[in-house]
Amino acid sequence: MSGVSDGEAVADDPGEGSADVGEGEGEGEELTPEAARRLEQDRRDRILVRRLKSGDERAFQELVQTYQNRVFGLILRMIGNRQEAEDLAQDVFLTVYRAIGSYRGEGRFYTWLYRIASNTCKNRIKYLKGRHFNTRLDVDDHAEAQMPSGEGGALHSIQSQIPGPEATLEGNRIQRAIQRELAALEEDHRLLIVLRDIEGLSYQDIQGITGLPAGTVKSRLHRARIALKERLKPHLR
Amino acid sequence: MAPSEQSNAEELMSAYLDHELDAKESEEFEAMLASSPEAKEELDDLRQMLQLVSTLPEVEAPPDFYDKVARKIRRRKILEGDLPVFVTLPFQVISVIVVLAIAVVYTMIHLDADPAARLEKDPSAKVKAPEEASAAGEAAEAAEAGEASAGEGSAPQP
Repeated sequence: MSGVSDGEAVADDPGEGSADVGEGEGEGEELTPEAARRLEQDRRDRILVRRLKSGDERAFQELVQTYQNRVFGLILRMIGNRQEAEDLAQDVFLTVYRAIGSYRGEGRFYTWLYRIASNTCKNRIKYLKGRHFNTRLDVDDHAEAQMPSGEGGALHSIQSQIPGPEATLEGNRIQRAIQRELAALEEDHRLLIVLRDIEGLSYQDIQGITGLPAGTVKSRLHRARIALKERLKPHLR
Repeated sequence: MAPSEQSNAEELMSAYLDHELDAKESEEFEAMLASSPEAKEELDDLRQMLQLVSTLPEVEAPPDFYDKVARKIRRRKILEGDLPVFVTLPFQVISVIVVLAIAVVYTMIHLDADPAARLEKDPSAKVKAPEEASAAGEAAEAAEAGEASAGEGSAPQP
């Protein structure tokens, strides 16, 4: 175990009800492809959760395989250490398995899942701070290995901007710098940057995950961005 | 700028970058940008920074991630007394144990059924067998000879 107790990590179902459904996703309105994809994902999640609650172990496997990359990615960006992130991501799913009974199924499932993941990260960071543990930033040591299979991933977009054989090296160097500066941000700021600018979640989802009011999410996110921009200044054109 | 106004401007800038403002709010914000070169510069810097951050590659969990989670759950169940200990062993280890057990049972059955193998299994039987055979042969011969001599002795005299 990694120093995170289940009780601390479990996020109560916020019971957001249909308030979690984003704008333009109501019935009768024309859906954007993104909104349609999210609705379909929500429908699949509801079925999986129902199956899991009725004791179907296969449903748990499907659930893990659906979300493992996103949860692992979130934790890796928050913690900065691959081994530690893997261990914590496993704990997140362990918590989900044990606490699925308390999930009332009203809010979006992944909002609940991300809330557990972010609480797990916060608890771990607090624990490591208490032990003066210096997380090793090895996120980009294996940048190629982290690419989604079959896709070039975003690294290729950096590489394509930088012609020549040094593209990979330069891309890795920039990624290391981003991760390093991200790790230097305050934990609350880092979480917002990861959720919004790396994971691409909506403001509404972030409110559901962090429990912060809309105005606080916007202003805190802005301050987090300003802080990261200052740190990344040498890398901006 | 008053703190509340500044806070509002901050919220607006990030929301503007994320296309979270409605048409009227966007218009008002763009009008503000037009009158404030500092705000415009800040907005451009933030755009560049976001572009840089968006180039981070997606991360993939290790391929055996689910197996590890499942193992952790089984281990936890054992600790809570829900499962017998052998269930916590990895699948590969359980497979090897099962195969070995089948091989041992098969060999035992095979040994019991095959006389040659039985002799190999019990070497003392190999030594004893010829002795017992010759002793049995001698006894039989002696019995035959005894019968023959008794027959001769008891025959009626002519």
